[in-house]
Amino acid sequence: MSERSACILVLALGNDLLGDDGVGLEAARQIAGQVDGSVDVVETGEAGLALLELMEGYERALLIDSVVTGRYPPGTVIEFSPEDFRKVVAPSPHYAGLPEVMEMAHRLQIPFPQHIRVLAMEVLNPYDFRIGFSEPVQEALPQLVQRTLRILRQWQQKTVPAAEGTRC
Amino acid sequence: MDESIQTVWNEAQTRANEAYYVQRRRITVDPITRLEGHGKIDIFLNEQGEVERAYFQVPELRGFEVFSLGRPAEDMPQITSRICGVCPTAHHMAATKALDDLYRVEPPSPARKIRELAYNTFMLEDHALHVYVLGGPDFIVGPDAPPEMRNVLGVIQTVGVDIGKRVIATRRRLREFIAYLGGKVVHPVLGLPGGVAKGIAPEDLPRFQELAKDALDFALFTLQVFQDVVLKNQAYVDLITSDTYTHRTYYMGLVDEKNRVNFYDGKVRVVSPDGKEYAKFAAQAYLDYIAEHVEPWSYVKFCYLKGVGWKGFTDGAESGIYSVAPLARLNASDGMATPEAQKAYEQFFNTFGQKPVHHTLANHWARVIEMVYAAERIVELINDPEITSQNLRVIPTTSPTVGVGVVEAPRGTLFHHYETNEDGILRKVNLIVATQNNSARMAMSVEKAAKGLIHGGEVSDGLLNKVEMAFRAYDPCHACATHSLPGQMPLILTVYNAHGEVVHQQKR
Repeated sequence: MSERSACILVLALGNDLLGDDGVGLEAARQIAGQVDGSVDVVETGEAGLALLELMEGYERALLIDSVVTGRYPPGTVIEFSPEDFRKVVAPSPHYAGLPEVMEMAHRLQIPFPQHIRVLAMEVLNPYDFRIGFSEPVQEALPQLVQRTLRILRQWQQKTVPAAEGTRC
Repeated sequence: MDESIQTVWNEAQTRANEAYYVQRRRITVDPITRLEGHGKIDIFLNEQGEVERAYFQVPELRGFEVFSLGRPAEDMPQITSRICGVCPTAHHMAATKALDDLYRVEPPSPARKIRELAYNTFMLEDHALHVYVLGGPDFIVGPDAPPEMRNVLGVIQTVGVDIGKRVIATRRRLREFIAYLGGKVVHPVLGLPGGVAKGIAPEDLPRFQELAKDALDFALFTLQVFQDVVLKNQAYVDLITSDTYTHRTYYMGLVDEKNRVNFYDGKVRVVSPDGKEYAKFAAQAYLDYIAEHVEPWSYVKFCYLKGVGWKGFTDGAESGIYSVAPLARLNASDGMATPEAQKAYEQFFNTFGQKPVHHTLANHWARVIEMVYAAERIVELINDPEITSQNLRVIPTTSPTVGVGVVEAPRGTLFHHYETNEDGILRKVNLIVATQNNSARMAMSVEKAAKGLIHGGEVSDGLLNKVEMAFRAYDPCHACATHSLPGQMPLILTVYNAHGEVVHQQKR
């Protein structure tokens, strides 16, 4: 296994050449300057099995991404738990396979985050090659950043006292 | 009214009504199937409940060409590798080779070897992912296994936890090596026109030589697993050779000067359904051989051989439909350039007793043979005396105009074509991605599987999986043209009766 110095992973998924698809990446860049050494902020365009390698060794992981469910106005920030992806067809292909990856880590005894949350913003257009966001997504970006930071603060309060004598 | 006019009028009315009806049938879709980001298979039955047509659709990413125009061509190895997270190295390498051509510059021999080394490492890693994770459930676990077993967990259960760990660990080491050579796996920065950005430090060589040795062991082990699990099971062999999964098309692949499979370079060779060489051409001539057909129901363009022509979704020597990917590469070549892969190649064609092999599902076996070739080539290259040379680049001096690059992506032949002004600013961009080369045959495979599995309106259990198997064998990567992952794409299969009503739906 890889030795991680941080306990918490913020993993941003997306492609910043695809307009709104990159909103998670932009949020990650804004967050990166506001966290301490207990948090790693990572951007990726990969998914599936690559998630195993990216998430391995962390105590907690927060995924940030874009989705098109068609059920919420663009700019809405939605929270999912990994269990949601067991029940429904994954609304974004980025983490299609997340439950499988978790199960695989378990079967292969690979250390994997015990706590996983997913924050995703409903977006308007992740299908056109362009740089920059649609208006509702641009406006809602600060919300995504704030919610991410809020979860990180909650987690840090939980992990720091438990860190006595352990890595996390 | 004159009777003949009346007849013509009525016929026209009937056709118009039918066209309208088809339109309506296409629109009458359950709301869930309209979710973006899904693959869709729509199957239309006739009055007798037999399959009339089946359509396989994937969502599209739009505007890549427009996005690229006006940008420096030199940015393309980075931009195109970010089209998707699935085969960045293939796009990176095709773009780099297009830049070599654009600037009329040949990389020095060590640089060429480093590129080929990185490329074979990528091929091995990507093929391993397909064999064990994406396609593995169809074969290692078995096509008739219960749905809850038909995934990577079923594969682990079948091959054992230790082997599962070995797959993950080997893949990780291969990816670390690619990262060493080219920066991030997803956004490689290895290739430059006329060479590479970075070489291998002599002190790092021993650990990569060790990795190469392990990688070859792993590939040979995988071949053994395939032989034990699949080839010794008559039911699997019957399935592979069944008519449902068979099409007699042309085949395309890159070959070296001895007509042996090569992933990184060579000429594009095409063989006919009876195995005769139909064409052999340099990448720059691709437009003389390949044309694209457009269908109103699909975003994907269907490639065909210009000289043979588009005859609809039909196979045989008269139809210009061709196939790429592992099976096509083996069919389009005369052999493999490394010893163990050559042995496996001979066994492959001897077992089927024919060449070309027309069975789509044989792609899985061909993929394993290619893993052996990639691993053997890695061993050769990492032990090459030139591999630590620092002679890595020839600086271009000519003015750019047109450049075409080609590689064999894991999923088949990939063309990049750029045209620029004299300052190297892009004026035209055309990419033909592997899945596009395969799109016509893939559409045929989906329809044929549906026709074999639906009769009298009765839809058999496991239809979705069997239809999926038909295209999963190609390892399609719609991420180049779509926002999706191979094998992981949310997929909905809908069967409509002759009145346009939904009679069956399965999703994944």
